[in-house]
Amino acid sequence: MTRRLVGALATLAAILLAVAVVAVFLGSARLSPLTVLRTLGGGAGADSTENIVILGLRLPRIAAAVLAGGALAVAGVGFQALTRNPLAEPSVLGVSAGASFGVVVGQLVGSSGALFDTVRVAAFGFGGALVAGAAVYLIASVHGTFPIQTLLLAGVIVGIFFGAAVTVLISLVDIDRLGGVVHWLLGNIAPLPARSLLVFAALAAAGFAAIVSQARELNVLALGEEAARQLGIDAERVKVQVFVAAALLTASVVAFAGPIGFVGLIVPHMLRLLLGPDNRLLVPTAMVGGGAFLLVADTIARNAVAPAELSVGIITSFFGAPFFVYLLRTRRGVL
Amino acid sequence: MMTCVRLCGRSTCAVLLVAALLVLTAAPAGALTVVDMLGREVKLAGPPRRIVSLVPSATELIYALGGEDRLVGRTDFCDYPPAAKDKPSVGGMVSPSLETIATLKPDLVIATTSGNRLETFTRLEQLGIAVYAVHAQRIAEMLDVTRRLAELTGRQAALGPLISGLESRLFAVANAVRPYPRPRVLYVLWPEPLLVPASRALLTELIGLAGGDSITANERGDYPRFSIEAAVARAPEVILLASHSGSGAPPIAKDKWERLVSLPAVKNKRVHAIDGNLAHRYGPRVVDGVETLARAIHPEAFR
Repeated sequence: MTRRLVGALATLAAILLAVAVVAVFLGSARLSPLTVLRTLGGGAGADSTENIVILGLRLPRIAAAVLAGGALAVAGVGFQALTRNPLAEPSVLGVSAGASFGVVVGQLVGSSGALFDTVRVAAFGFGGALVAGAAVYLIASVHGTFPIQTLLLAGVIVGIFFGAAVTVLISLVDIDRLGGVVHWLLGNIAPLPARSLLVFAALAAAGFAAIVSQARELNVLALGEEAARQLGIDAERVKVQVFVAAALLTASVVAFAGPIGFVGLIVPHMLRLLLGPDNRLLVPTAMVGGGAFLLVADTIARNAVAPAELSVGIITSFFGAPFFVYLLRTRRGVL
Repeated sequence: MMTCVRLCGRSTCAVLLVAALLVLTAAPAGALTVVDMLGREVKLAGPPRRIVSLVPSATELIYALGGEDRLVGRTDFCDYPPAAKDKPSVGGMVSPSLETIATLKPDLVIATTSGNRLETFTRLEQLGIAVYAVHAQRIAEMLDVTRRLAELTGRQAALGPLISGLESRLFAVANAVRPYPRPRVLYVLWPEPLLVPASRALLTELIGLAGGDSITANERGDYPRFSIEAAVARAPEVILLASHSGSGAPPIAKDKWERLVSLPAVKNKRVHAIDGNLAHRYGPRVVDGVETLARAIHPEAFR
């Protein structure tokens, strides 16, 4: 197990590194590869444009994309293990919509100091994610199991509800600000300042730790709650912990990057095809693989129509929606 | 009939002639047909007496023309002049309450293609309420809207003074900034994600009139998302951050821009906040907007 984990992690880390290298060389500011290398080596002046573009904009954005992708993929693995359902994912379950509602409320109730703001907005998002997740859980649960139709419908319903709530808030906003909020709702990765990146990383690490520490228990849970109980596992505690952690991961991504769909669906599924269903392998590899995946998507979003930009959420949905249909059609027997 | 002739654009002479014939031959006394800015014929039983405006800039223009006694309804966003808030509101621009509009018994609704929905147009017309469409992306079009609203509200007398006042102020700004070199200007409509005015935006024209060169003037569309690093690479000498009124805090994010220390605008402390309400609406206040922009871009010209 350990050897497979190390091997998979090393491979994914190499892929992530390669993608990051490509990403740092691509951008709408036309900088030659040589300039990029010199800047990375500290050869450009601290106040130079190259320095600002590479170190101040591209690298923080790459870091934010990797964090967001990793967090979403781990949240996906968590929700899938909880519901024992491979289609569960933050946006499909409506948890992203709940977090979005919380974040919009958090942004509207005022702002002051920058760091405090970030934490407050993330906290509101966390609240929204918990409420939405709990609602889906209560609606969809049938004697502790989650039949696929019920779960998807519950997610859709909760998503529509919170989407409507966000629309209500937006309609109270001046038309001039509308563009900003609407674009935010499509999901986009920003070059976050260092302090925000640290908060984001801390939240993602907390959520990751809470789920990875329960990976073995989640494996047992996959056999059924009765089996888990016989092996001395407190199923309720495991489920609550993983649920709260997955909601935290979702909320942190929504707070720092907006709702981005389907990452938590595509990445865990690909990894499951390669590595099998063992959560001890899936959770750590999802962190790295999700980061690489979203970084690819964001590099496309940054460069496809440069110097204009696309929303990364559009790119992931573009890949994700057909993938979702594929899963629904081909894996019906398994679901 | 003079009303009709003056309301119609140059390009619609044929339509106009037909309309004139129709009115002359068939319509009841006082009825008239006008052509709106989409080239649609709008049939009116007479000069409109009860107007509902779904367009904040049109509301401002109606007040500037002194035609507000004919205005019976507005949207939530028609907040200027402050007296406009005394008129009953029919809700937001995207989804105004049709019931409220109907109970106001308007004989004309002023709407726009950017901000209102097509559905609102069709529903109102199904209810037998005439809808007159306006739109403007250039100052010349704003003046055209002003002319049309003057006709519709019977305030032709106020039109000349209003327009010549606006034009002489624009002329004064142009004279004041002419001697100075035109700095590269980045206008930030929204900081995260970055939204900027592009070729079709009114703001791009206003920045030009205020003596600046918008670094995003040649991008496609009106207010596209734009890459921050492309903005940095174009080395703006002045950065203008729009503040927005309404609910919640204005997301100006000045500190975010001040971290970009390589920019001439940051080195020379030329990052300024701008009241977006002045410049984003094509009402009479766009001239205030041009003056504000000019003072921010060329403080030396207004000492």
